[in-house]
Amino acid sequence: MKAAGQVIRITRHFDASPERVFDAWLNPQTASRWLFTDPKGKITRCEIDARVGGKFLIVDTRAVGDVDHVGEYLEIDRPRRLVFTFSVPRYSPQQTRVTLDIVPSGKGCELTLTHENVLPEWTEQTQQGWAMILGALEESLHA
Amino acid sequence: MLRALASGDRHIGELAAPFRMSFAAASKHVRVLEEAGLLRRRRDGRRHMCRIEPSPLAAAERWLRFYERFWNSRLDALEALLKSEDSKGSLK
Repeated sequence: MKAAGQVIRITRHFDASPERVFDAWLNPQTASRWLFTDPKGKITRCEIDARVGGKFLIVDTRAVGDVDHVGEYLEIDRPRRLVFTFSVPRYSPQQTRVTLDIVPSGKGCELTLTHENVLPEWTEQTQQGWAMILGALEESLHA
Repeated sequence: MLRALASGDRHIGELAAPFRMSFAAASKHVRVLEEAGLLRRRRDGRRHMCRIEPSPLAAAERWLRFYERFWNSRLDALEALLKSEDSKGSLK
């Protein structure tokens, strides 16, 4: 039942070079303007250690408080591929994995984002697990 | 609130109590959750009983859709940022 359902894949075309799109994820000045911001939030901290094994911490300050976005870079192949772990501890302890694949397309490029391990396996068995996930979802609906 | 509901059905008043929120605030909260399809409400005499709605599968779907919306809105923001840089003629 889980298989494909647990993976999110989104493809987008950008009228910009692969390098610009790639760098937007790793350059703190650029990333803090779009990456993990909520329309009602404000990025108050953006630390990016852009090397394999390096970590990032992006803090969005919202009405509900500070929301940390943390992860570690697993693969950096500019401008083709970027892989990092990603979690938002406030909402879920689950460590997810995000892969970006960027290929040139026309005058711009096409980015495919794959988000894996979004659902922890144990949530399938335990009601507690679901309560946690739904609690997070509830909070995000009110954010 | 949903955590409380996970252990069984609750009246709105019972849901409000641990959060020190008013009955009206709790009702509003319940309505948002109901609209999101996470909770179902039924009448029990003069009170409303609340119950967690989604089957685990439906909940999983919602969680995935939440992230899908999240990434789509992030990529929209990236696109807008790149466009605004272009119109300023910087960083080509």
